[in-house]
Amino acid sequence: MILSPEVLTIFILNAIFAIFATIAFILSVKIVLKWDINATTQTQYSLEKYSYLSATIIKYIFAIKVPLFLFFIFTLDKISAVLTGAMCGAGVVDATEYGNYLFILKIINLYLFAYWIVLHNEDVKDEKQAFTKRKFMFFIVAFFFLLTELIVEGIMFGSIDLNEMVSCCGTIYSSSSGSYISKIFSVDTSVLLGLFYANYALMVLLYFFKRAYLFSIANILFIIISIITLIVYFGTYIYELPSHHCTFCFLQSDYYYVGYLIYLLLFVGTFYGIVTGLIVMDEKRREKNYKISILFNTLYVILLSLYPIVFYIKNGVWL
Amino acid sequence: MITLKNVTKRYKLNKVDTITAVEDINITFNEGEIIVLKGASGSGKSTILSLIAALSKPTSGEVIVDTKGISKLPDNFASIYRRDNIGFIFQKYNLIPNISVQENILTPLIPLNLNAEELQKKLHFVMEMYKIEHKKDTLVRNLSGGEQQRVAIARANVNNPKIIIADEPTANLDEKLSLHFIEMLRELKALGKTVIIATHDPLFFDLDFIDREIEVHNGKLLL
Repeated sequence: MILSPEVLTIFILNAIFAIFATIAFILSVKIVLKWDINATTQTQYSLEKYSYLSATIIKYIFAIKVPLFLFFIFTLDKISAVLTGAMCGAGVVDATEYGNYLFILKIINLYLFAYWIVLHNEDVKDEKQAFTKRKFMFFIVAFFFLLTELIVEGIMFGSIDLNEMVSCCGTIYSSSSGSYISKIFSVDTSVLLGLFYANYALMVLLYFFKRAYLFSIANILFIIISIITLIVYFGTYIYELPSHHCTFCFLQSDYYYVGYLIYLLLFVGTFYGIVTGLIVMDEKRREKNYKISILFNTLYVILLSLYPIVFYIKNGVWL
Repeated sequence: MITLKNVTKRYKLNKVDTITAVEDINITFNEGEIIVLKGASGSGKSTILSLIAALSKPTSGEVIVDTKGISKLPDNFASIYRRDNIGFIFQKYNLIPNISVQENILTPLIPLNLNAEELQKKLHFVMEMYKIEHKKDTLVRNLSGGEQQRVAIARANVNNPKIIIADEPTANLDEKLSLHFIEMLRELKALGKTVIIATHDPLFFDLDFIDREIEVHNGKLLL
């Protein structure tokens, strides 16, 4: 078990999340079961107050979760200094069998909570509060994901053995490691790049043809393809090393923290793209979401594409 | 038109005890009426005003203004409703003493983001109506009681609300100022405003321009 000040901070915040999220969960269940916007009963007026309280709790959880995700990555990097063999956060994630699940859960929860916020914003725009029941039903589902994340996080930090040697990112993100990550290296790079740019081109086309549902699906695919191409191809140009594929090292100062920018562009771009087709909203709002999504995704593609281009201009060869 | 349908409002005193401020009230106020709600302190008059102004929500029942159920409005929409429809005259005026008369009057217009020309037009209109233009740059704390009263009424009218709510408006005034206030109510009646006054001041009783006097007793209307 590792109990550094950073891990303790995460534990304390998780305990606070668990308490408040449980309150919001109980109130959400009551709202989902008894909400009737047309009723003028004591129960309905109470539910309207509960709705306001729950929404405030959920918004604050999300507001803390976003910076906390960055703090989590920072913590992994910091812990890597005391774990034998680890060179960055990737080693800590791989130190236990829970690390990768936790990381995936954290990303899923960020999308879930961000989606909830969008749903809530749409709901409070109209005095009839058309999305109230739906947003709290959604939170009930999200609550279990959140709870799972908190438990897995506790188990992960609790099961790190400081005396055990762990793998460094060079081993984890290697085609010969035998892990599930290594399987992505078996796909031909040109096929991956083709999929990456084709997916981007498809999003641009769908933006012009305003096909919201397809645009959402294209964005979901873009998350997966982007991360794979980042590991397999673009990462090597960020590190200027053909054998280095880590998704953590470029978050460090050696690479000017460019990883934060990369992930931010990808998260914002794909998130706004996904909600465009998932929520019924007015055209003005939808158009705004389309534009934000295309802008951030375009910046993401440009930023990543620049790395190999600049490398080629500087060195005259591809990696 | 303002309609209260089966309205009950209870306040929690602690985890166990509640106090019923108004109980199962049913009443309609017509547009352009001046209504006096009379009754002793604690009878429920101010609660009725706060429900009409969407400052609080009923425990059960419904408040409808024209066709809109204002008691069902979420807080952000309730604020917009108040901004656009309600003018308030409070017991102690609730003016801001350290700013000028015109700044006090303009306060309700701040959220509207009007341009300077529109603001001046509205300001000029109410200051002239309530004969306070000559004091427009004077700090409110330097005004006499009567002048402060005129500023309060000008402020309540600057956004041209349909409904004016006055909660014990003469409680702190001497008789001369109270009578002056009553004369200003007559002017509001001429403008077609719906005015609801909660008071236990006998000066308001049996006035010729008051449409209805309704007694409130222990949270119930004695109609």
